[in-house]
Amino acid sequence: MPDTGKAASVSPGPVKEDGSGLLLPLMQQWAAAYQGQVQGVTVQVDGGGSTKGINDASSGAVDLGASDAYLSSGDVLKNPTLLNIPLVVSAQSVIYNLPGLKSRQPGISAAGLHVQLSGSLLAAMYSGAITMWNDSHIQALNGDLVLPAIKIAPLHRKSGSGDTFLFTSYLSTQDYNWNKQVGYGTQVVWPDLRTAQAPDGSAPMIAQCAQTPGCVGYNGVSYLSQELSKGLGEAALQNGGGHFTAPTPKTIQAEVNKFVAITPPNETIAMIAGPGGDTYPLVNCEYAIVSTHQPSAATAKQLRDFLTWVITAGNAGSFVNSVNFQPLPPDLRKLSATQIGLIR
Amino acid sequence: MAATIATPQQPPTPPAPGQPAPPPPARVHRARPARPGLVAMLTPQGTPAKMRALMVFLVMLSLAWGAVGAWVVATHASAADSLARADEAYSTDAQRLYLKIADADVTITTSFLVDSQPVAPAADRPSTLAARQQFDQDIQDAGNYLALLKNSNSDPRFTAAVATIASGLPRYVGAVTVAEAQYTQGITPTGDSEMEVASEEAHLTLLPAARTIYQFENDAVLASSAEATSLPAIILAAGLALIGVVLLVLGQRWLGRRTRRVFNRGLVIATVALVVSAAWLCVAFGLARSDMSTAIGQGANPAQALAQASIKVQQIRGDSILNVIARSGSTSLPADARARAKEVGPGPGSLLDAASTSGNPKVASALAKTIAAAPAWYAVNDKGYQLGDKYQYADEQASVLNTAGTGYATVQDGIKRALAAALGTFNSAASSGASAYGQLEALIIIASLLMAGASAWGLSRRLAEYR
Repeated sequence: MPDTGKAASVSPGPVKEDGSGLLLPLMQQWAAAYQGQVQGVTVQVDGGGSTKGINDASSGAVDLGASDAYLSSGDVLKNPTLLNIPLVVSAQSVIYNLPGLKSRQPGISAAGLHVQLSGSLLAAMYSGAITMWNDSHIQALNGDLVLPAIKIAPLHRKSGSGDTFLFTSYLSTQDYNWNKQVGYGTQVVWPDLRTAQAPDGSAPMIAQCAQTPGCVGYNGVSYLSQELSKGLGEAALQNGGGHFTAPTPKTIQAEVNKFVAITPPNETIAMIAGPGGDTYPLVNCEYAIVSTHQPSAATAKQLRDFLTWVITAGNAGSFVNSVNFQPLPPDLRKLSATQIGLIR
Repeated sequence: MAATIATPQQPPTPPAPGQPAPPPPARVHRARPARPGLVAMLTPQGTPAKMRALMVFLVMLSLAWGAVGAWVVATHASAADSLARADEAYSTDAQRLYLKIADADVTITTSFLVDSQPVAPAADRPSTLAARQQFDQDIQDAGNYLALLKNSNSDPRFTAAVATIASGLPRYVGAVTVAEAQYTQGITPTGDSEMEVASEEAHLTLLPAARTIYQFENDAVLASSAEATSLPAIILAAGLALIGVVLLVLGQRWLGRRTRRVFNRGLVIATVALVVSAAWLCVAFGLARSDMSTAIGQGANPAQALAQASIKVQQIRGDSILNVIARSGSTSLPADARARAKEVGPGPGSLLDAASTSGNPKVASALAKTIAAAPAWYAVNDKGYQLGDKYQYADEQASVLNTAGTGYATVQDGIKRALAAALGTFNSAASSGASAYGQLEALIIIASLLMAGASAWGLSRRLAEYR
């Protein structure tokens, strides 16, 4: 826990953070709560996307960059003092706007339905090989659903994004052709489709999808309540074991647990489509990108205190549940604490 | 003080053949001008005393020659031997240590990038067994080179680098093994992320430590080279020998004036011993220096340039492959690659130019293809980075693994052959240079003892004539 007396007696300036839009709602809660508990500390948070978070932390423009993706080797080799420290477990949902979707079973409302999609199907939808929602390939996986006969409008993020990294990683893992032709990354060359759209950010993704019947897109689970309130649906995705699961606390935790034992000390790990029957395949850690070398001992201590608070008190259900995140498993929390201790 | 007039002292008349030597003339005390006390005490009084002093001086000069000459020979022979048998070998081992680690990284990463990706429906996953075996062999070789090198230097920075590799290699292999397990299960992103961790371990920890070791070994080569060919010690020895010859000749003349004998056999023997041993030393040094200059100029220097070129070429290759995995869009890797390409060359001041213009025709011949192929390889690498910048990852991967892979092999092959040629030249010339001193050290010691004995013997005989 932070040493509030010492932190308050030295005033190294506010903790500046920017980056991941997916983490932003939770970071805002953390900042408000921490400032309330620790006198004299200000935490300034901002979004801008994971790429901005990495770049700003790298250049020293902010103390903390938030990213949905771990640092690439290029970033690490360029700036070996940077750490990527998992703060919390997140997941990504695949969303859609399907008016007229209904169950063949009587008495089941559309609100509780999850269209089942595989990585290969999503790759076909984003590459234009499948253009209609009632395509037989989609229907084959959703025998209980009546799919509307509307065109598929794939949405992808316009600029560099950790969300894009996660989503395209899933497609690359699941589909040979996607991996060969497009691949994965924070940005990719998307297939040039007339129906495709490119919103710039998580909130615009929701807005655009809500305005576009037939859309399919991707977003962090922290935006789920907004998506559901706009009438958007959330897909059940095929995991590494071939099962279809929706992002629930149980399936997200199950996926993370598959990777805890092989997480390296620097916690650079992709947790996409792991094996298992009850795992949700699109899970990631939300990372704080921070340099081990801080301008002063006071700044370093302030960052250590804040980050330690985040992975302990900040991982409480009162914080993470509100954005559908999951707390770090104990072993990952230990690794994160060790990394936080490297900040000097 | 009253002065006493004395007759001038005459040299003793040599005895006639067959006659016993006459007794030495009675000493005549004569007055001398007053001298300062210490000088007077140290200044020999009379011919016998002067002869005794000369004898002592020549014996000491002889022994000094033996000590200095033997030290000069020992120093140069040791440096030449160290250079020929140890330093260059360590430097080569250090370069191989680096290349084995780098090769392991490139081998396994390339294999996973190609063979461990999702496969077409109904297709079999390609085997990575051969690559894994090559990787394991590289790691084992690296461990062996590390074992050979670990005690070659006691500098704390060197031992720290050795410890870093000793502890880092198992960690690196562990990360690769975890990555392999993930690939095997078809969890490609996790395999890729683990390979990033492994490659970062190689690029940020292992290879910099290997570079440190190489730098220390290379510095040792340069130090031994300088010592083996340095002039001050040999100039000191030659100067001492010259002074010795001059003093022996002057002593001979002085003795001749007093004994009416042109030659003193003992001093003649001492002079001949000194001249022969000094001449032998100079000739041996000249031969050794010539050989060492060839070894260094046409062997060690181009080998050093080629070793560095090989390491940088490997870094360029490793960076481009890492960029394929990382999909970073970071400018650091292409910028580093371009800077290293400029250092490798060809071009003014580049490593390839330094090696090819070293005067070793075998090196120049082996490098011809590399020098011709390198610019095209750099261009292909640039194209790969540009494809990555445009997020065309599949095209980048194809370019890096196929076209650039061929160019890399051509460039590295030429460098390896040139390096072998340079090391061949070095070994041949350095061995010849190291053997030029032969038994010279013992000869100089024997010569100095002979000089001392002969001087003492020659002057004792003259002194005996005064008794």
